[in-house]
Amino acid sequence: MNDILKVGNQKFKSRLFLGTGKFSSTKAMIAAVKASGTELVTVALRRFNRAQAEDDLYGPLAELSNVQIMPNTSGAMNAKEAIRAALLGRELSKSPIVKLEIHPNPHHLLPDPIETFEAAIELVKQDFIVLPYIPADPVLAKRLEDIGCAAVMPLGAAIGTGKGLAMAEMIKIIIRDANIPVVVDAGLRAPSEAAHALEMGSDAVLVNSAIAAAENPTAMAAAFKTGTEAGRAAHLAGLMPTSEIAVASSPLTHFLAPADEKEPII
Amino acid sequence: MKLTVNGEPHEHQGNGSIDALLEELGAHKEHTALMVNGNVISSKEWKTTILNKNDAVEMLVFVGGG
Repeated sequence: MNDILKVGNQKFKSRLFLGTGKFSSTKAMIAAVKASGTELVTVALRRFNRAQAEDDLYGPLAELSNVQIMPNTSGAMNAKEAIRAALLGRELSKSPIVKLEIHPNPHHLLPDPIETFEAAIELVKQDFIVLPYIPADPVLAKRLEDIGCAAVMPLGAAIGTGKGLAMAEMIKIIIRDANIPVVVDAGLRAPSEAAHALEMGSDAVLVNSAIAAAENPTAMAAAFKTGTEAGRAAHLAGLMPTSEIAVASSPLTHFLAPADEKEPII
Repeated sequence: MKLTVNGEPHEHQGNGSIDALLEELGAHKEHTALMVNGNVISSKEWKTTILNKNDAVEMLVFVGGG
């Protein structure tokens, strides 16, 4: 099946994007990336430290074929810092694709919608392919689409909480109104939730903690691959309508009772 | 020359170019992005950009992130 996800001018067959944080080792992360079948991974920027050279992911990720790198702007407290982080990330990735995230409060890590919007305007002007991480706010999502973002990434639940699609109803509204891809980012814990997100019509999911913090990250990455694919296939197949009353799937002809007994009233 | 590198004081011994600073600190040039006083400096300009006393240099690398 030729089912391609287009984000700006970028094309993806896999609808599972992967975060590279929180893994026990670079080796474990690379194994999970391979098992997931992802074509897009996020990375963060950190100050160079010669004593921790093994944390530098540039080399290990460059060896992966068919995997694009999307730097994030994590750590940015406001639009100005996020723009700076995006420019720095682009220097390394050599690609205009950026995950715009501004979440100044460490207690809930919820995105700052105002700073995110302001940064998005500037980054679009500077020819970035902007994927903003946002609260599941349909109004904000539409505004970001209007100013030229390539996709929107509403949160399923707060980062790292594993509370799944807590924002499902709001995400459904975003999906219904959007003319750009909607990527559920953050909060997912189980592959069934990724499947659910895709069934709902999300175009992709971005998963990190659920895989990195699993007992077996490689196996969980493979499970998320299957879940994402199943959800997408189900969405394309078209889910049956729901009904408030039971609708029998077997014939209810009353042939087992004696002939003199009346048919039950249903 | 006195510089601040990644928030720490650093006494630079080289010719003052960004290239020289990266070599001095053992940074892998292809893996490093860089800012001087809050301005991003493209790697194309590292050979020719000469640092000034008290410049604040930030050197960044890719690490795991979601």
